[in-house]
Amino acid sequence: MNSISLYVERNSFVHDIDPITKLIYIVFAILIPIILPSFTISFICVGISLVLLAFAKVLRKTVPVFSFVFLILITVIIIQGLFKPENETILFQIGPITMYQEGLLFALTITLRVINIVSAFMILVLTTKPSELVESLVRKGLSPRIGYMIVSVFQIIPEMMAAVSTITDAQRARGMETEGNFFVRVKAFLPLIGPVVLGSLINTKERAMALEVRGFNSRVPKTYLYEEKTYAHSKLIQSLLLLGIAGAIVWRIVS
Amino acid sequence: MKKLAVEGLKYKYPQSESLALDNISFTVNEGEFIGIIGRNSAGKSTLCQALVGLVPHFYKGAYGGKVLVDGLEVKTHSIADIALKVGMVFQNPFTQVTGSKMSVYEEIAFGLENIGVPRSEMVQRIDEVLKMFKIEHVKDHNPFDLSGGQMQRMAIASIIAMRPEIIVLDEPTSQLDPGGSEEVFQAVQSLKKQGITIIMAEHKMEKLAQYCDRILLLDNGKAVDYDTPEKIFSRDDLESYGVAAPVYTKVCKALGAKKQGTNTYPVTLEEAEAVLKEIRR
Repeated sequence: MNSISLYVERNSFVHDIDPITKLIYIVFAILIPIILPSFTISFICVGISLVLLAFAKVLRKTVPVFSFVFLILITVIIIQGLFKPENETILFQIGPITMYQEGLLFALTITLRVINIVSAFMILVLTTKPSELVESLVRKGLSPRIGYMIVSVFQIIPEMMAAVSTITDAQRARGMETEGNFFVRVKAFLPLIGPVVLGSLINTKERAMALEVRGFNSRVPKTYLYEEKTYAHSKLIQSLLLLGIAGAIVWRIVS
Repeated sequence: MKKLAVEGLKYKYPQSESLALDNISFTVNEGEFIGIIGRNSAGKSTLCQALVGLVPHFYKGAYGGKVLVDGLEVKTHSIADIALKVGMVFQNPFTQVTGSKMSVYEEIAFGLENIGVPRSEMVQRIDEVLKMFKIEHVKDHNPFDLSGGQMQRMAIASIIAMRPEIIVLDEPTSQLDPGGSEEVFQAVQSLKKQGITIIMAEHKMEKLAQYCDRILLLDNGKAVDYDTPEKIFSRDDLESYGVAAPVYTKVCKALGAKKQGTNTYPVTLEEAEAVLKEIRR
């Protein structure tokens, strides 16, 4: 089954670390460059994330995500470089186009921040099963209903997409035009989306009943099939990260 | 001992004009296997859902009478409480997949996690039902990747793993081939031997005749008859309720071959064979 989750199955210590520690790392990676706004710190943060991704053997999987992000960042660089109001120092000129230093530096800050956030999130997304992440949050007190909602999306959406293609085939078998110019496609859309929506509503009702009889709303304390995933040095890493954040705040206030 | 008692049960779906269940009363003893038959929309599914509390708790609507499950009144208890006593398997195996679990093994664990079964027991129960329904070889597959028959067996396994005292099955073999259906009936039969009470709505009359202790015939929301398979399938007016007797009974009816010393026709292959051999002599 095709999944919409980006999780990559690999054997690495990054995969072994529990999801909560990874969440704290994301907070750390976002907060540190904001508390200490210097290029060096930002570069170090990005560097740590990339090294972790490399250790997790998922660096190649980040390429499509990064290329998409770069596409957006390039527009930021061009617009800031050309039109930022504080632009004074001319860096270079190509014909009528003038690049300014202030704008470019500002764009660089934004770029670093974005890459930093994206790579920190990527560590979580690429090395953690969605179900594992949600389960550890449920253990920490997240409502199981919300947890179910998040996890089921990853399976129900591909199932709905499969339903769409089945219905498309069925409608085609009855002679409906589904390919051609824009008008034909719009006309084909309604008889397609009707059954999909109604079908999902009926399925949802039946699934809700099936969940009920399997004790989903039971008030008994829940148990878990798997033991909580713990990494030997979780507590140490978590406290180091939190200490890092606290340290950065103190450093900022003092200096 | 009365495990299940339905007294004058009446029910009307919201926004519906007519009664879906009209004054139904019957009792089931512990360890009995009861079949529910009747044409489509006779009220079989509604009655099944009334036994686990989905009617009225899930649908609301107008409700009268009483359903007592092991002494628990369904109307005054939540579905989660009743689910500990009664398990239900639905018609469509596809919508019974929770969608939150990545493997068949975890899928079966879902109900057990909810009702707070300790881990070691969970593992033992799951292995047991996987073996019982012969789905061990797919235990690591994604539930949505199973075939219809495997999915249906998984759905039944997930309920049975919760070890209810009563199991309600609503057309559990609709997606199965003859071999698969037989396996389900065999598994259900072995549950019956463990003293579990079974209620099953089905269209496969030959199978019901072979395995059921008693059969409840429904028509238009009313209970027409509640008796042994022999008596039910020997009725002359079966066709008018949209039910066809097992093929063995039909043959014997056509030949006028009643069981010796009774006023009923044979309902299983073995019985028919015995009666017809007797005639030939």
